[in-house]
Amino acid sequence: MKKVLLKNIENPDSALLTEYMRVGGYKNLKSAVKEMTPRDIIDDVKESGLRGRGGAGFPTGMKWQFASMDPKFPKYLVCNADEGEPGTFKDRPILEKNPHLLIEGMVIAAYALQCSRGYIYLRGEYPQAKVILESAIDEAYKKGFLGDDILKRHFKFNLSVYQGAGAYICGEETALIESLEGRRGQPRIKPPFPVNAGLWGRPTIVNNVETFANIPLIIEIGPKSYAAIGNTACPGPKLFSVSGCVKRPGVYELPMGTTLKEIVYEHCGGLVDGRTLKGIIPGGLSTPILTPDKIDCAMDFVNLPKAGSQLGSGAVMVFDDSVCLVKVYERAMKFFEHESCGKCTPCREGTGWMRNILGRIECGRATAEDVDTLIDVANNISGATFCPLGDGAAGVVLAFVNNYRDEIDYHIKYKKCC
Amino acid sequence: MIKVNIDGQEITLEKPMTILAAAQRAGIKIPTLCYDKQLEPFGGCRLCLVEIERVPKLMASCTVNVTDGMVVRTQTEKVKKARKAQLEFLLINHPLDCPVCDKAGECDLQDLVAQYGAHEGRFLEGKRKHPESFRDPIIVRNMERCITCTRCVRMCDGVQGAFAITVTGRGNHSFVEPFTGGEYKCEYCGNCLTVCPVGAIMSKLHRHSYRPWYVEKEIKTICGFCAVGCTLIAQTRGKDIIRTMPKHGLGINDGILCVRGRFGYDYRSGEGRITTPLIRKDSGELEPASWETAIDYAARRLADIKERHGVASIGGIGSGRCTNEDNYMLQKLIRYVIGSNNMDSSARFAFAPAQKYLERMFGQGVTANLIPGIANADGVIVFGGDPTAINPILGVQCRIARRKGAKVIVIGAPAGLKGFVDYKLEPVVGCEEVVLRAIVKGVVDKKGLSGENAYIENKIKKLMSPDDETIERVGVAVADIAKAVDNILKMKSPVVVIGPEAVHTSSASLNLFLLGVINYVLNGRIFLLSEKANYQGLLDMGCAPDVVPGGRPIELDIIEHKFQDLLGSKTPEEHGMNLYEMIDAAKNGKLKALYVMGDNPLFNYPDREHIEDAFNKIDFLIVQDISLNDTVKMADVVFPANSWLEKDGTFINLGRSLQRLRKALSMDGCWDDWKIVAEVAKKLGMKKSYESSKDVWEEIRKVSPLYRDVDYVGLDEQALTWPYMGEPIRGLEGDFKVEGLEQVLGNVAKGSDGFMGLTNPVLMLERPLFHSGSMSGMSKALLSIYGAPYFKISKTLALRYGFKEGDKVRVIMEKGEIDASAQIDVNMQDGVVYLSNIFEGVGYMGVVGYKVDAVVGSLVITNNNIVDIVRVED
Repeated sequence: MKKVLLKNIENPDSALLTEYMRVGGYKNLKSAVKEMTPRDIIDDVKESGLRGRGGAGFPTGMKWQFASMDPKFPKYLVCNADEGEPGTFKDRPILEKNPHLLIEGMVIAAYALQCSRGYIYLRGEYPQAKVILESAIDEAYKKGFLGDDILKRHFKFNLSVYQGAGAYICGEETALIESLEGRRGQPRIKPPFPVNAGLWGRPTIVNNVETFANIPLIIEIGPKSYAAIGNTACPGPKLFSVSGCVKRPGVYELPMGTTLKEIVYEHCGGLVDGRTLKGIIPGGLSTPILTPDKIDCAMDFVNLPKAGSQLGSGAVMVFDDSVCLVKVYERAMKFFEHESCGKCTPCREGTGWMRNILGRIECGRATAEDVDTLIDVANNISGATFCPLGDGAAGVVLAFVNNYRDEIDYHIKYKKCC
Repeated sequence: MIKVNIDGQEITLEKPMTILAAAQRAGIKIPTLCYDKQLEPFGGCRLCLVEIERVPKLMASCTVNVTDGMVVRTQTEKVKKARKAQLEFLLINHPLDCPVCDKAGECDLQDLVAQYGAHEGRFLEGKRKHPESFRDPIIVRNMERCITCTRCVRMCDGVQGAFAITVTGRGNHSFVEPFTGGEYKCEYCGNCLTVCPVGAIMSKLHRHSYRPWYVEKEIKTICGFCAVGCTLIAQTRGKDIIRTMPKHGLGINDGILCVRGRFGYDYRSGEGRITTPLIRKDSGELEPASWETAIDYAARRLADIKERHGVASIGGIGSGRCTNEDNYMLQKLIRYVIGSNNMDSSARFAFAPAQKYLERMFGQGVTANLIPGIANADGVIVFGGDPTAINPILGVQCRIARRKGAKVIVIGAPAGLKGFVDYKLEPVVGCEEVVLRAIVKGVVDKKGLSGENAYIENKIKKLMSPDDETIERVGVAVADIAKAVDNILKMKSPVVVIGPEAVHTSSASLNLFLLGVINYVLNGRIFLLSEKANYQGLLDMGCAPDVVPGGRPIELDIIEHKFQDLLGSKTPEEHGMNLYEMIDAAKNGKLKALYVMGDNPLFNYPDREHIEDAFNKIDFLIVQDISLNDTVKMADVVFPANSWLEKDGTFINLGRSLQRLRKALSMDGCWDDWKIVAEVAKKLGMKKSYESSKDVWEEIRKVSPLYRDVDYVGLDEQALTWPYMGEPIRGLEGDFKVEGLEQVLGNVAKGSDGFMGLTNPVLMLERPLFHSGSMSGMSKALLSIYGAPYFKISKTLALRYGFKEGDKVRVIMEKGEIDASAQIDVNMQDGVVYLSNIFEGVGYMGVVGYKVDAVVGSLVITNNNIVDIVRVED
C-alpha cells in the first residue's frame, strides 16, 4: 500500500512546508475550501466510515455532525496529541516528520466545522515535536494556510500548540479540556459532551492526531475509495507502533484489519530466533493481553473486541518467553497508580492496591488468596470508575489473571519467575 | 412530565433532575460522600452507584439525570457490593484513628462503613503518610484522613469564592492544600470544615476537647456579629459553648458562615468580661456592688438630675449589638418614663441618615430586600465599602451572583470582590464621587427618564458630568467608565450595595442621590451595609430623637396619643437631641446624665479628645456593657449585660428581616439589657413589669401596628420581612436636597477633606473581615488570626518614609499620634494608610475629627491627613 500518513517520511526535511508541498501537500485543503461546502466535507467524512484513532474508535463523521448541529459559537477544534499510552508512539512520526499533514487536516476540519480557533494539546514529553510543530505552524501562517483569511476565502482559523504537564489522564478529552483551560486535569461529568459544551463551555471537537491526518486523504480520494481501504466496517490506513520482542520494532502504516500475524511476522521480522511467543498486547497498555492463539486476529475495531481485547491506539507490544508477565503487569499497575488523577475512589485507591498485590506476587511474598483478592479488587473497580482509566487498569489485570493464571501460581508456589 | 421508577416506586417529576434528587424526593436513601446539596455535582466517591435497567454499567446517581421511563434500582446485590467496595477502597488510606479523631461520632465515612460494611480490611500494606498541619491559627488539617471528595474545594471555589485551596498531587497522593502548600491565609470562613465529611479539616478551637455526643443542647439563634443575621446553631454543654455551626436550608446564610460567626463565639468568655455591677465610689474607684444597690443608685441619681436640671438634661444611647427588646426598653425609659426625646445611637453616623435619605427618595421600606436574592441579580453595583468584609455573607451572595453571570461593578478598591470584577474603577481615595457621577450620567443619558418621579428627575437634569480629563486625573480609564455604563444598561434586576464610606464624606448626599438614581432608572434593590447586627432594629424601636417604635415619625405620634393610652404617658413634644447634639450638649454642660447601653463612645466615636471632654463633664454616666472598655472605665454606674449568645429577643437585619434570637447559655452575674433598664425604670415610676423578653415584645406589638400580627411563636417558624404583614405608615416622602450636583469635584475645592493633590496620605478606617468591633476583639480565635493593630500601607509609601514590613511606626496626626506595626500591601493606593478601630488604645477613630454633613446628617471624617510617619525603635 502507498504510504499516506507517513508519506515522504524518509526525506530528512519532510517537516518543511516546501517538501510537504512538493509531494502534493495542501492541495486537498485548497480543493476542500474552494470546491466543497462545510456540509459536503462532513458528509464525506461520515460516508468514509473513518473512526477516531485515539482509542475509542468513535465515528468521526458523527462527532463532527453533532458539533456542527450545535448553534453555539465560537466552536473550538482541539487536536489530542497527548500520546501517553505506554507502547504508543504512532503519532510521533506525524508530529515530528509530517506536521503539515496534521495542520492540513485540522484546517479542513476547521473549515467544515466553522471553528476559528484550534489547539494542539501536545504531551509534555515531546519537546522536539513542539519545536517542529511551532515552526510548521509559522510556515503555514506565512503561506496563508492559517490565519484570518485562509486562501483568501474569508475563512479564519488560528492554531497554536499547548503543551501538557505530563499527565496521562489529559489524554481523556474532558480532562484535556480542563487542562487546556488552565485547571487540574481531571475528567468532567458527561453529558454534556465536549461537542456541545467543551472548552470554555463551547462546542469543541477533540480528535486524535492520526484522525486529522486521515482527513486530507478522504478529500483526495473521496469517501468511497477511502472506505475500500482495509476492513470496510472501519476502513482506512492505520499506524501500528510495534514494540517488544520483535526483530524490527517501529511504526508501520498498514490498512485497517491487517492481522497480528502479518504485523509481527512479516513487517516486524518475527521474534528473536529460538524464542516462542508468550502474549501480545494489541492496542496499548490499557487493552487486555492476547494469548498466542489469537495471532490470526485482524487488527481493527470489530475483530479485536471479539477476541477479547481492543484496538486502542494500535500499539502492539509483543512478549516472548523471556519475559516475566507478572513483572510486566506490576510495572503496568505502577503506571496506572501513578497516573490515576485521584478523582474517583476505585481508581485512586484500587490501582495502588492492585500494584501492591502484583508486587507481592512478583517478589514471592503472595499467597493464593491474594490472587482472589486481586480478582475481586479488579472486579470492584470495573464499571465503577468515573472515566475509562480505572476500568482499563482493572480490565488488563483481569485478562492477565484469566489467561496466565499458571504463571502467577508458579510465582506464588516457587517464589520465582518461570 | 417525567415518569421514573425507583425501587418499584413510581415517581412523577415536573422537571429533569438527577436520579439522586428524585430518590431523595421519594424518600429513598442513597448513600453519598462527595455529594452536597449546596455544591456542584462531582461524581467522585462512587458511593451513590445505582443500577439502571438496560444500562450495563452501574451509574453514579448524583450525576445522571432521570429520563422518562427509566427504571432504577438502588438495593440490588450488585449495588450493595459496589457500595461496600467503595468503602473498602476508602479505608485503604484512611487512618483508623477514630478514637482520637474529633469527627468520630458525626463522621459520614464512619456511619457509612457501620451501615454498609467493609468491616474487615484485606489491604495489607501500609497506609500513606502525610504530616498533619497546624500552621493555621484556627484550622488543623490532617490530610491522611482526606477522602478527596473535594467538598471543601468546591465550597471554597464555588460558594465562598475564596479560591484558597485545591487538590494537589494526584492519585492516592491527592491532598487538599492551599496553593502554596503552607498556610491557608484565607478568609477563614470555616465552610470547608463544615462540609468535610471526615476529620480531614478540623477546627483547632475545640480540638480534642469534646466528642460530638457531648453536645447537650443545640440552639438555633442569630449571629450577632453583623447585620446579615445569619442563622447559626450553637452547640452547648453545661455552661460552655462547644461550637457554632451553620445548617444547610436554614436562614439567610443557608449552610455557610463567615469567620466571625463560625469561630468568634469564644468572645463571651474573653478577657475583660464584667460580671458584677460597679459603682464609682467617692474614692474615684469603680467598686463592685449588688444589683439592688446599683439599680437604686442609678435611679436615684437620674431622678435627682431630672428634678434639678429638667428632662432635657438626660439622654440615652442605644446599641446595634442589643436586641429590639433592649432598645425598646431603653427608649421607653428615656422617652416615656423620664420624658425626654434625647435618644440616639451610633447608627446616626451612617446607617440611620443614609436610610432616611433613601427613604425620602423612594419611600419607606426601600432597603427591605432579601439578602439571598442578591445571588439571582444580574448586576451588582458596590459603592462605599467592601461587602465581603463588613457583611461577609452578603458579600458571598455578590460573588455567587457573578458566578451566575451577573456583572459586578465596584467603585473604589474591589477588595474582597477582586477577581469578581472585570475592570477596576478605583479612583484616588475620596474621588469616588467623580466616577459614580460619570457612570450615572452616562446611564441616564442613554437610558432616558421615565417621568415617574419629578423630584428625582429634576435633579438628574442638573447633574453635570466630569470631563474625560478629570476622570483620568482621578485615576480611572475613560474606557472603563464606558464599559461600566454599558454593563449597567444591560442589567434588568440589579442590586445596589451601599457601604458606610459613601456617607462619611462631604459628598454624602450626592453619593446617595447618584446611587439612588441607578436604583431609580434600573428598578434595582438597595442594600445598606451595616456593621452592627441590629441598627435597623434600634431605629425601628425608636432609638432616635425623631422616631417612635414602629419607625413612626414622632410628629405623627404626638397627634395620635397612642402611647398615652397604652403606656400611661405621652410622647414628649420637646425636640430631642441626636447623638452629635448630645455630645455637644454634654461638653457645654447642658447634658447632665447619659445612659449608654452596649456602646463604647470613647473608642468608637471620632475625636477622642472631644468625646472625653464631653463625657468628663457629664454628671452621671450609666454604662451597660459586656466588657471593661474605655467608656465603662469613666462610668458612675456599670451594669454587666448579657451578650447575644446569652439572650432571647429579636434582631432586624439590614434587609429588614425580623428574626428571633435565642438564648444559648447564661453568664453568671449578667442580666439582659432590657431587664436592667426595666428595673431602673421601675424605680423611676414605671408600673409595668416584665417577666421575659417576650413580654416586652408583646408590648411592642401593641404599641406599633407594624408588628401587630408578629409573635414569638410565628417568628420561631420563619423570619419575617418588612412590613411584617403589619401596617406600615408612609414616611415623609417628597422633595429632598442634594449638594454639589453641578459642581464636579466640589469637595476638593473646599480643601479640608478632598484628598486630591495632597502630598501627604490620609488615614482611612480599615473594616476588617476578622473583626467587627469590640466583641470580636474579645475572641481568642479571631485574635489568633488578627491579633494586633497595624497600619496597612502601600509599598511606595513605605519606601518614601523609610521603613519595611513589620517595622513599628508612628503615624502623627493633627489630633494625636498612634504607634503600630506596618503591613505592606502591594495592591494598595499610595495616597492612603489604613488603620482599624478594634484594639483599644490604637484605634482609628480617636485620632480623627468629624463634622456633620449638612444635608444627610451623617458623620463626615475630618482631620485625617497624616502629618508624618516615623519609624520608632523598639
